[in-house]
Amino acid sequence: MRDLATRRWWRRGSTSRREDAAAQAQPALLERARGRLLVTGVIFLLCFGALVVRTLDVAVIGAPVDISTAGDASAFDPAARADIVDRHGVLLASNLPTHALYVEPGKIFDREEAVAALGRLFPDLDPERTASLIASGKKSALLRHDLTPEQAHSINRLGIPGLWLERQEQRVYPQGRLFAHAVGFTDVDNRGLAGVEKAADAELRRRAEAHSGPLALSLDIRVQHALAQALQDTMTAHRALGAAGMVMDVETGELLALVSLPSFDPKAPDRSPAETLFNRATLGTYELGSTFKPFTVAAALDLGIAGIEDSYDATEPIRVSRYLIRDHHPENRWLTVPEILIHSSNIGAARMAVEVGAERQRTFLDALGMFERMPLETSERGRPLAPRRWSEHTTMTVSYGHGLAVTPLHLLANYAALVNGGIAVTPTLLKREPGEQMVQRRVISAETSAVMRMLLYAVVAEGTGKNAAVPGYLVGGKTGTAEKAIGGRYKRDSMITNFVGVFPIDRPRYAVLTMMDEPKGTKETYGFATAGWTAAPVAGAVIERIAPLLGVPAIVEPDETEEEPAFARWDGAGRHASY
Amino acid sequence: MAQFEVSSRQGFGVAERLLRLDWFLVVLVCTVGAVGIGMLISASGGATEPWASRQMVWFGAGLLLMLGVSLIDIGFWLRAAYTIYVLAFALLVGVELLGAAGKGAQRWIDLGVIQLQPSELMKIALILALARYFHGVPLEGIGRIRTYLLPLLMIVAPAALILRQPDLGTALLLALGGAIMLFLAGLKAWKIGVAVVLALGSGPVVWQFLHEYQRARILTFFNPEADPLGAGYHILQSKIALGSGGLFGKGYLQGTQSHLNFLPEKQTDFIFTMMAEELGFFGVAGVLLLYLGIATYGVVISARSNNHFGRLLGMGITVTFFFHVFFNVAMVIGLIPIVGLPLPLISYGGSAMLSLMLGLGLLLCVGVHRDVVITRRPGSAG
Repeated sequence: MRDLATRRWWRRGSTSRREDAAAQAQPALLERARGRLLVTGVIFLLCFGALVVRTLDVAVIGAPVDISTAGDASAFDPAARADIVDRHGVLLASNLPTHALYVEPGKIFDREEAVAALGRLFPDLDPERTASLIASGKKSALLRHDLTPEQAHSINRLGIPGLWLERQEQRVYPQGRLFAHAVGFTDVDNRGLAGVEKAADAELRRRAEAHSGPLALSLDIRVQHALAQALQDTMTAHRALGAAGMVMDVETGELLALVSLPSFDPKAPDRSPAETLFNRATLGTYELGSTFKPFTVAAALDLGIAGIEDSYDATEPIRVSRYLIRDHHPENRWLTVPEILIHSSNIGAARMAVEVGAERQRTFLDALGMFERMPLETSERGRPLAPRRWSEHTTMTVSYGHGLAVTPLHLLANYAALVNGGIAVTPTLLKREPGEQMVQRRVISAETSAVMRMLLYAVVAEGTGKNAAVPGYLVGGKTGTAEKAIGGRYKRDSMITNFVGVFPIDRPRYAVLTMMDEPKGTKETYGFATAGWTAAPVAGAVIERIAPLLGVPAIVEPDETEEEPAFARWDGAGRHASY
Repeated sequence: MAQFEVSSRQGFGVAERLLRLDWFLVVLVCTVGAVGIGMLISASGGATEPWASRQMVWFGAGLLLMLGVSLIDIGFWLRAAYTIYVLAFALLVGVELLGAAGKGAQRWIDLGVIQLQPSELMKIALILALARYFHGVPLEGIGRIRTYLLPLLMIVAPAALILRQPDLGTALLLALGGAIMLFLAGLKAWKIGVAVVLALGSGPVVWQFLHEYQRARILTFFNPEADPLGAGYHILQSKIALGSGGLFGKGYLQGTQSHLNFLPEKQTDFIFTMMAEELGFFGVAGVLLLYLGIATYGVVISARSNNHFGRLLGMGITVTFFFHVFFNVAMVIGLIPIVGLPLPLISYGGSAMLSLMLGLGLLLCVGVHRDVVITRRPGSAG
């Protein structure tokens, strides 16, 4: 090999041939070196351009990341589920951000360390279960729900790969049990399981996504509270199994309150006895008894079969095949139509129903929606139980509310129609917009409705509903007491008592339904447990509290109202001149 | 030992050198350093403790080092190149043998005052050594494959050691810087193409040598959303912070992502993210322009150099510096997988700062000695 060191071709000033050759090669080489320098410079510029474009993309145009997947509290996306508020904006359901802790066993390097670290953070976590979870071949497993932000932070600080957190929304119900049945609840994944939460599940998600604010219900927390308290007091006093109640706007069908007792904690429905989850107001179907009689009367009046001054023979019980229809407060005489309601005469109602006839009675009840589920924004809606064969006997018993089981909601919605001028209402738990157009479907004439208002007033003024009377307010209503059918037989001492009250009855605005499940008599009620003693007073107490809240003006002298003289005229027997 | 012939047309005192110094480049470097200190103040929530104050000390020391290095005769660096390389390589092996383990990676040698990171030093040493090597390669040798065997070994040996530490980012930077040196030295383009193909082909083999976490990072890069709280956490948080900055940013000291500690390593590798959040796209683009300015200066200085050593050295430094910036920013904005490189002159850290300043000092030195002509080989003549 040639010895480069001895050739000295590199020395400046050398004139060797090699040097010449190199000198000739030099420009080409220099050219290439410059070119390469330039290429490198261009690469710089391209890289720089890439950085700028990408930064622009990420920082300004793209914003490619769904922020909810990141652990940042400040940029917290409010919810995947909209809040629920009452009609005045009081918060009924909202969200808290929490985390769920998952483990991916395959990614855990040091199992013992992981178990120990988790044990330190969560002393209540069973280490053996944790260890077996981590040792399992599962891809991932849930370790724990509802981590506080602090706990989530601690997990992140552990820095153990294979432990990861998932953002969650924890649904919270600031009003606790008060709205449990109306608002409902969600599962751990925030899917609606009951009540409005379930019925409006999609809507709540849509609202959260569209940021269109909370879902406003028709409920009014003040009314709800008054109703719940009155029901609870009476339920306790009469040792009833349960109670239910609703307050409805008779024009719009909006429910201002919906209570079913006993209630439960919507945060932990699984820890409440199963029966507390049962919604008596909208899911339970009951033979509601005499509260059905106004429908019988309304049908007869509206069809022109009976007039207000007609009388029916209630001197003795009616025997139909093997059944005996009799009155609980027998007058044993002919009763006028108002008297049939005032004294709650089964015999009179049955005789009216027979005159109406099975076919027309069914058509009428069908128009009222008594055979179908009542629409409402809740998942708990009971389907009425109607006899398959509609015999004459059925016609008679249904006239006073036996043989046909409906939900209290059915009853209330149709009372609204009876008194509001005869227009069917669609019950709703959602707040209606002022001026919202509703389908106007007439079920009885305005004249019949006017008469029904006066009849219902008479019941409270003088009949079985006296205990619902409220000083300063004109209240109309009807009581209903039905024996519960248990095991195919009616049980005398197991009763469903209920009352529907309407106020102010001269210009109805609200209807109140109260119901007790198996109330017992007390000393104060002289041992009675019928609706007049256990349901009507609750409605009275509720009306007394909510009427001023709802802006219903009190009347100082009820005797001076228009209805008063008119009603005195109907009193055929003339025995009730004092009101 | 034989000496290189170093000749220059003018007398070369310190004053002359100071005059020939590219002061505008010094100003650029200082500006970037000041931005870095500002960002570190923001990273600690408006306080100079714990990062900004120390960074200031390091930056000051680095500045002195840079100026000092730039004033030293370029001949000295040419002569010392191999020595420095061997020293750096020895330190690298030393780290491998007895280095203190920090953050699960053996990267540091504790010198008491400062923890020395030999891989940082190696970045500069490799360029010096390669520049010297190619400076001495005769023209006809440039076309030969044989000429490139030793440089290849010079690149691969330290890169492998650094990869073992493990420090993927620095190893990559070393390999890339070295490769570009070969390219600049005149390696034929098709040979580089073959090398690239070979490198890509060796991917699966390299994969076997990668640590579990390094593989996870690469996999996560392609789909960060799959594992938002694990290996994808850095990237996701970073993207969120970037996205929350917008065009104009939230304002200095106003970045929530960074200050609420959602952003990991905000004072070191991910400081760019914090900048993007607080200063917005325009602020970040401005900082990138500063870097581009420094790189442009590097190219110009290299191109103007009248000696091959200076040209290669200057360009090598510039390339390393620029790709240092590029890798950091690109990983932060999700262009490439996370490799773990700080942002030059801005990220907190003394070792990287000093090695970069050393490199920039050499670049300035090349500029100062641009008219110096150096013989290709040490010889007796002259």
